Amino acid sequence: MSEYLYVGKSIPRTAEVDKVTGRAIYINDLKRPGMLYGKIKYSEYAHARIKHIDTSKAKKLPGVRAVLTGCDIPDVRVGFLKDQTVLKRDKVRQFRDEVAAVAAISPEIAQEACDLIEVEYEELPGVFDPFEAMKEDAPLIHEVDARGRPVSSNILPLPWRFSAGDIEAGRAASAHVVTDTVRTTWVNQCCMGTSGCIAEFDMNNNLTLYNQANVIFWDKRRIMEYFAQIGLKNSKVRIINPVVGGSFGTKLDTDIYEFIAIQLALKTRRPVKILFTREEEFRALPPRQPAVFEIEQGCDKEGHLTFRNVKAVLDNGAYTSWGATTPSVMMMPISSLYRVPNVFFEAKCVYTNNIYCQAMRGYGNPQATFAVEVSMDHLAEEAGIDPAELRLINCNHSGDETPMRLKITSCGLEECIRGVKEKLDWDKKRGKHKGRGVGMASLIHVAGGARVYKSDGHGMMIKVDEHGHVDVMSGGTDQGQGSPTVLAQIIAEALGFRPDDITLTFGDTALGLWDAGTHASRHTFIAGNAALRACEKVKRQILELAVEEIPKLVKHQIKRKKRKDPDFKEPDLDFSLIANPEDLDIKDRIIFCKKDPENPYFRTEVSNVLREALHVGTGQSRVVAAEAFYDPPTEMLDREFKGNLSCTYAFGTTGVEVEVDKKTGEVKILQLYAAHDVGKAINPTLIKGQIYGAGYIGVGYGLTEEMKLEKGKVMNPNFLDYKMLTAKDKIPVTPMIIETDEKDGPFGAKGIGEPGLVPTAPAIANAVYDAVGVWIKDLPITPEKVLQALKEKREKEK
Amino acid sequence: MIDYQYLKPKSLEEALSLLESYGERAMLIAGGTDVMVGIRNGKFAPEALISLRGLEDLAYIEKDNDAYRIGALTTHRMLETHPLIRSELSALYDGASQVGSVQIRNVATVGGNICNAAPSADTAGPLLALDAVAVLKGPRGERNVPLSEFFTGPSQTVKELDEVLVEFRVPAVMGEYGSAYHKHSRRKAMDLPILGVAVSLKVTDGKIEDARIALSVAAPTPIRAKRAEDFLTGKMVSEDVLEEAGKIAGEEASPRDSLRGKAWYRREMIETFVPRMAQKALERLKNR
Ligand SMILES: Cc1cc2nc3c(=O)[nH]c(=O)nc-3n(C[C@H](O)[C@H](O)[C@H](O)COP(=O)(O)OP(=O)(O)OC[C@H]3O[C@@H](n4cnc5c(N)ncnc54)[C@H](O)[C@@H]3O)c2cc1C
Repeated sequence: MSEYLYVGKSIPRTAEVDKVTGRAIYINDLKRPGMLYGKIKYSEYAHARIKHIDTSKAKKLPGVRAVLTGCDIPDVRVGFLKDQTVLKRDKVRQFRDEVAAVAAISPEIAQEACDLIEVEYEELPGVFDPFEAMKEDAPLIHEVDARGRPVSSNILPLPWRFSAGDIEAGRAASAHVVTDTVRTTWVNQCCMGTSGCIAEFDMNNNLTLYNQANVIFWDKRRIMEYFAQIGLKNSKVRIINPVVGGSFGTKLDTDIYEFIAIQLALKTRRPVKILFTREEEFRALPPRQPAVFEIEQGCDKEGHLTFRNVKAVLDNGAYTSWGATTPSVMMMPISSLYRVPNVFFEAKCVYTNNIYCQAMRGYGNPQATFAVEVSMDHLAEEAGIDPAELRLINCNHSGDETPMRLKITSCGLEECIRGVKEKLDWDKKRGKHKGRGVGMASLIHVAGGARVYKSDGHGMMIKVDEHGHVDVMSGGTDQGQGSPTVLAQIIAEALGFRPDDITLTFGDTALGLWDAGTHASRHTFIAGNAALRACEKVKRQILELAVEEIPKLVKHQIKRKKRKDPDFKEPDLDFSLIANPEDLDIKDRIIFCKKDPENPYFRTEVSNVLREALHVGTGQSRVVAAEAFYDPPTEMLDREFKGNLSCTYAFGTTGVEVEVDKKTGEVKILQLYAAHDVGKAINPTLIKGQIYGAGYIGVGYGLTEEMKLEKGKVMNPNFLDYKMLTAKDKIPVTPMIIETDEKDGPFGAKGIGEPGLVPTAPAIANAVYDAVGVWIKDLPITPEKVLQALKEKREKEK
Repeated sequence: MIDYQYLKPKSLEEALSLLESYGERAMLIAGGTDVMVGIRNGKFAPEALISLRGLEDLAYIEKDNDAYRIGALTTHRMLETHPLIRSELSALYDGASQVGSVQIRNVATVGGNICNAAPSADTAGPLLALDAVAVLKGPRGERNVPLSEFFTGPSQTVKELDEVLVEFRVPAVMGEYGSAYHKHSRRKAMDLPILGVAVSLKVTDGKIEDARIALSVAAPTPIRAKRAEDFLTGKMVSEDVLEEAGKIAGEEASPRDSLRGKAWYRREMIETFVPRMAQKALERLKNR
């Protein structure tokens, strides 16, 4: 494959010079003429009735342009289950409930006005644990559903139930069975850039929303739906992304602050910006969905898995966003990580007065993989089989169809497990229980799109101008993930241009064709495939023009030469060699004749051809532009949650060696190997960047990060008490790139955005067990928990 | 809204007279790494900030026959990079070099760290274990307060409103001690200790002649574990003796449950790190 010029090369990221020199324009930097600043007044209770809101003092504050409460705007429900309103009128159900909002000439004045709003509450009993909330006498979070019908339970009407094969038969065939209770908690996405948007209406009530959405077309749809309900049926909506400082899932749903900005802009007729503080980011942004799993798993005497039976309870918080849909992804590792014939999975999402959740890198997969992989090690011990061996015995392979009906195409899992095993010196190091230990865990994830919406498509438009500049308009978004560089490499390779020639425009609903969003690790795969198809058309157009224009250019050239040099001998050129587009190709922006590549007369810059074709002086001028829309040949999950929702799947294994200080409970990571089947590394440095970054977040998930909630209140809304790892907490991550050349991937590539994070925490948990003999099945694995478990172990052994 | 006057006196005298005339309405500011955070959080709302940054001559590290003298405006970075501190007052090096990040250490001062009087202040334990004395100047003149008597509660000290801390004095004999400080935290940077343990020891021929043990985040103020110190004094060094000292220190402390750590865990960390820091102090003595 060495014939590629750009694919497979570690080309530096394209737009990053502006970022590191402070030139890039984030939402923080963006100002619109006449712009006002919005601030939100949040609830002071986890659960309370609103008795009275007095905004009179706030309205009198100089500089305030609008104060809104739930009574000032249409009482319209929004959200995935339409279970909340934009500003809360009667009741608050969590501390982040938006009770009022202010627009003012500065953020400070807006904040001061918020503080001047007086709200009288009548506190209601709250419920902060999903198991408590399921009890019959638990206080109801919502008394009625979206249609106003009374409800009798806090359990959400979501049918997360998956069944394949026969659990009883699986149990009967088992020689060994283990059960575990596994818990994961809230973690914040910790984007470098905090959330924000600017809402701006023109005089015809058309909205331009500058925001960080990573699914701009769904964002537009949700806002259009909202507009239809508030009497703005004829308004148009345009979403534009400024430079985005990371999303990690946070920008998947349309958040309440966006609707608030829209309402404030409508009211004031001025652009309104809302920008979260870091504290708001922790308190009022939906974090990763926590879950408690009961997992039961068995294997026969030889170690073949016989069944997996999993029940999960999810603390949904007070309202519903994408967090409640994470079971659809949890099903993937539960049903399909390793070969397991009989699977049952059921998840209950339960309303509580806690913060509600949404997407975060991995989308339910890290939670479920933690359960599956801790259980795998437990089962291995029960069966007396080496945990790596148990994984190899049950390894997924190319050609498999899993109980969820996922069709496994290329699959490097075995290579990943073996590779990690070797690097860790597994056989020598494992099983010592002397303070040092090794552990591993693997993953499966979608890597060729994910048909969660009826279209998983991506539209791309490409034009090439007379200067040879290639402009690409992608319907996708750039969250900082690096795929713009990768796309430039793909397009350069496919067109025969250089990556530098290519300018990409993302994140604008007015400029791009539909795209299902930058999520599910799909951008490189799906946009890459769209790019290949668009490039084919563009290249064809260029070569068609070349067939017409090159002979003319050559004749001009010869004429010029003759004029200059009367002795010039006209070369004997065979124009039949370049009579058809198929006879020509492009490399490094130069069109050449395939059969006579070095012939200088048949070699010309693309721009020369395009200029000739444009400036013709008759009504015949032409330009080069094409679009392509790629929707992968995949299926929606059916009613039983089965179907091949992705073109291909990513596999990977993380192996760690840890040292546990038995007197402090601290876990130190000595080595971390992350082996990933990436299909093809289009840009190895960027792949490694994804693996490093995901590895860090994974270690944070495993060891240090947790949002601490006390009766619904986030107690650590800052980076001092929220223990995201710093650059000084060096984690020795070694990425291992395994290429399987995926047949449907652009140049063989698969998605890699999320996978690195997924197996990290369980690998650590398993290594801790190997080191000191205690299993911490409750994330994060804090020193306190380790020390406590060691004590209990000692007590038991007495 | 946040609004204050910013005053920058050129001399200590001017600073003192400004303090006197503004009284409770003013606040001193050195590096500002506690003050500005407090103002942002609404913890402080001074009308005026009196900056000490014009008093450059209060940033120094010196040694004479009696004492090591450390100016109140000495930054943590200066402490961390000064060879004298590293080799002779090692616990202070340990503490100063682990404050926040390099950026913070470049502006944050040791005087501010002590006057802010957080139970978690990273130089408090080391200075306590090094027998430091704080020198205060005010309209009534100068007074010397041993650090063990300086803190009266969280964010509270014996320093009067109209006084400025000008210097720390560490008795010259402390140079003969080996010392070490452990900051027990979850991250390696940008973190506050869940617990801090500082130990300094004077040892001759394996016998502990004198011991200082200071604990931070183990009580409402940084404290000395005097019973553990007394236990050690006169004993021959052994693993058991050091372990026992850890246990005694654990009993002396009154840590509490907080978001950052549980009381039982803090107590166990005292038991763990008193002996570990004692060992480290001994090793440093040996390697001198
Ligand atoms: C990001 C960050 C990380 C941090 N990490 C740590 C850490 O790891 N460990 C730690 O201990 N601290 C940490 N801190 C807290 C802070 O940096 C230290 O306490 C620092 O030493 C304070 O010094 P300063 O000069 O900035 O004090 P200032 O903020 O200027 O003042 C602090 C207090 O002392 C008073 N004061 C200052 N100088 C004098 C003086 N000469 N006489 C009388 N009163 C005076 C002020 O009035 C004020 O009350 C951190 C702070 C930040 C922002």
